[in-house]
Amino acid sequence: MLGVTLVTPIILGLVQGAGFGLVAIGLVLIYKSTRVFNFAAGEFATLGAFASYHFSHGFNILFISIPKLGLWAGAVAGIAVGAAFGLLTERFVVRPLSNRPKVTVLVATAAIATTAIALEIVLGATKSFRSGALVSGHPFVLQGVSLLWQELIVIFVLVLAGVGLAIFFGYTDLGLATLATSQEPTASRLMGIRLNRISMLTWGLAGALGGLAGVLLPPVTGSFFAAYGTTDLLIAAFTAAVLGGMTSVPGAFLGGILVGLVQNLALSNVDQNHFPGAPAVAVLVVLIGVLVVRPTGILGREA
Amino acid sequence: MTTVLEPPTHDEPLDAAPADDRDFRPTPGGWAARAALPIGSLLVLFFYLNHFAPVRADNLSNGLIIAVGALSLNVLVGYAGQISLGHQAFIGIGAFTSAYVISQSHQSFYVALVVAALVGATQAVILGLVALRVRGLYFALVTLAWGAVSEQCIFLLKGFTGGGAGANAPKPGGFTTDRAYFVLVAIALGVILLIDWRMMASKAGRAMQALRESPQVAANYGVNVNAYTLLAFAVSGFYAGVAGALYASRRTTVQAVEFSFASIALTYLIVTVVGGLRKRGGIVAFAILFELGAEWLPDLAKSLGLPRSFQANAGTYLQAVSGILAILTLIFQPEGLGTITGPIGKWLKGERFHLGHGGGGGAEGVNARP
Repeated sequence: MLGVTLVTPIILGLVQGAGFGLVAIGLVLIYKSTRVFNFAAGEFATLGAFASYHFSHGFNILFISIPKLGLWAGAVAGIAVGAAFGLLTERFVVRPLSNRPKVTVLVATAAIATTAIALEIVLGATKSFRSGALVSGHPFVLQGVSLLWQELIVIFVLVLAGVGLAIFFGYTDLGLATLATSQEPTASRLMGIRLNRISMLTWGLAGALGGLAGVLLPPVTGSFFAAYGTTDLLIAAFTAAVLGGMTSVPGAFLGGILVGLVQNLALSNVDQNHFPGAPAVAVLVVLIGVLVVRPTGILGREA
Repeated sequence: MTTVLEPPTHDEPLDAAPADDRDFRPTPGGWAARAALPIGSLLVLFFYLNHFAPVRADNLSNGLIIAVGALSLNVLVGYAGQISLGHQAFIGIGAFTSAYVISQSHQSFYVALVVAALVGATQAVILGLVALRVRGLYFALVTLAWGAVSEQCIFLLKGFTGGGAGANAPKPGGFTTDRAYFVLVAIALGVILLIDWRMMASKAGRAMQALRESPQVAANYGVNVNAYTLLAFAVSGFYAGVAGALYASRRTTVQAVEFSFASIALTYLIVTVVGGLRKRGGIVAFAILFELGAEWLPDLAKSLGLPRSFQANAGTYLQAVSGILAILTLIFQPEGLGTITGPIGKWLKGERFHLGHGGGGGAEGVNARP
């Protein structure tokens, strides 16, 4: 009997945690390069989910009508929309506020989330959408739990993104330049690093990662809706990033998995009728615990 | 009768010396114009409440409740330099507490209002204890997670809220109609504004502002950083509890879904920012404008012959626009609507009308260090 309440949440936790990790890596990327907490990150994912759904099913909004393009084209569109939204955010909100206190930028990103949520409600009302898995079917069964291809894809993509970014920051000149700008913007500029380019690069990349999470996760978790990213992903992703000390890509990666496990174990082992919202409480406890006991995160240094 | 809208200052140089301003006394006509503005506004309000259907009064009550909630956020973000992204917890706990006291403990609305305010203050102080350890941007995450806990756990507790599907909170006797209830809400807002004004003029208010600029410097000047941080949370939670109790009885049924991150926490934050941090007048003005906009936009869209889809979504478009407005405010005009309401307030007190001399508080909108 123990296997049922442990194996299912662990597998679900790994998969969901991979999704949180993807968004968390985007948060870490932005924090490392511009020291900004991006509260619009969840909506990067929601917009990606909406774009991929609408492009793959075809839509007719205002004066634009797009035919049915299929799931893969939809996925590309979702990532592209996420990236575009990230770039727009950088150009029109973050850059004009670059010399202001970071809390001001935080409030501005929260305002972006509001606008994005409102636009999503216009696009999709308050309905829930089910988007199709890129690859359907399940390859194998583990302890009575059947794994979906989509779930394996999510984990694989997270590993790929994590390793890719670790290499980017660790071994490329551009990655080094990105780290340098966050620590000493003026000196970096004098060394010939274009700050605006770096800022655009990281926000665009974070947007694309968010869009990717929005494309990959909803088929696994069930559905998406307006404000999906902010309600379902953002807090978990931030907690994951904090577990990584806000600056560590592998830390955010591990943090995401950990938060996914904690949420799902809390969900399946606590009676919802007597104690509703156990996953949210568990995340709050983890968040406060890390911030008070070990603010540098689990891995403890910038990497 | 000729109405003099401006005191005769046209032949004065634009950059009038402050000494000249100090000696300035409005003419009798000037005083008449100053008296005409509040009296005129009251007449317009009276006409608005009586001419249109009672539901308009109910919606206007909502505008004033948003104002109370935004003033609560203003204490944290504007005065103390703490950020809260979990205000749905503050407001919702107040609303459900009020409903509980009225329908489960069978007390009057006024008892419920006081209890809701005190419970609101208590939960805010508990959150404030975390803020003493976790500062700046990281604390914003804690408030965000606290908001989620309230939405998914506290509002759904059967013993407290009856499961979140609907707790009853009838309007108090004598204020059962929508128009009468508006008067009650207006009085409550007036009391909150009075408390806020007097608090900020006191030692506590100055201490909070010092904290916002720099906790270290404030501590060096003998400000008890921890005590005043907690006080700011208590005051904010108190206002939010009042807002929640007013919200509960306005709806008469309190539902958990109404206290969501997007509809309360983000909306109130945007009202606070666009209204202008530390600008009471601006915050109240924008809260009312926001509600009136949401209310009249569909009618306006209909009369302009815009597509039906636009009419149905007018309120949502308003939300999108106010988000953009908040960003523009942060970039270009950190004092928000206070840039306009500040000078009007000074003019009403018998000074000259100077745009851009909203006064006080520093130029930076949100100012706290991580």
